[in-house]
Amino acid sequence: MSSILDDVRDPLRTALLGVAASVYASVPEAVIPPACVILYDSPMMESTLIGKAAVKVKLNFIVTAAVAYNSNSGSLDNLEKLIIEILGAIPSGYVVGDVQRPSITSVGASNLLVADISISTYYTQT
Amino acid sequence: MATTIVTGRDISFTLATTNYEAQTTAVTLVNAPVISTYQTLDGKAYKHIDDQWTLNIDLLADWGVASSLFEAMWTAFTSAPNTALAFTLVTATGASFAGTAFPVAPTAGGAAPDAQTDSWSMLCATTPVLTIS
Repeated sequence: MSSILDDVRDPLRTALLGVAASVYASVPEAVIPPACVILYDSPMMESTLIGKAAVKVKLNFIVTAAVAYNSNSGSLDNLEKLIIEILGAIPSGYVVGDVQRPSITSVGASNLLVADISISTYYTQT
Repeated sequence: MATTIVTGRDISFTLATTNYEAQTTAVTLVNAPVISTYQTLDGKAYKHIDDQWTLNIDLLADWGVASSLFEAMWTAFTSAPNTALAFTLVTATGASFAGTAFPVAPTAGGAAPDAQTDSWSMLCATTPVLTIS
């Protein structure tokens, strides 16, 4: 029996392990930068295919790329490199959408420069 | 009578005995009637002289996978373009449309960054038969 974890999120996480960053398939308690975190976007699932013999949905994800925010120009350069690495590592079968503008997020005592990459794919429950 | 709503999730659809639901985002069976209009001395008169049914399907492309529907349609189109394929479209339990439609050449390629999709407009060889149960 298939599952979203085994057939969608784990393959995505495994593919991203090749980039020079920590990879989290769900929200971690503490983020060690550079990092990419796989989150659900909204809507989480869309029913776009006909029929109900099997459950078939479009899954929307956000891959958040995060780097340490120490100096503006250096952090931005690191973030751009990480985003390009992530885009190159996304496996086939995943639709790569837009990358949102970077922003600064405080996690604990550290500041992170983060940007969200939209990813979607289709899943059929078997 | 209570309101009844049937949705796309109530549809089941097979073409050439293959279930297409996993790749199909929309399917419609459409009639284009040919009605002649005559202007008589007594006003307009109409005569329904012909029908052309079309099976319209919107799909996600699945080139390259095992048992690919797109590759099957490509094979049907190139090997037997004049042989109509049998289809069954159940719009909801108890309403089943059956007929035959001619194969079409699937469009190859797509636009970045979206999923590769295609729309097939297949001419029906005969008027579909509705079976109500």
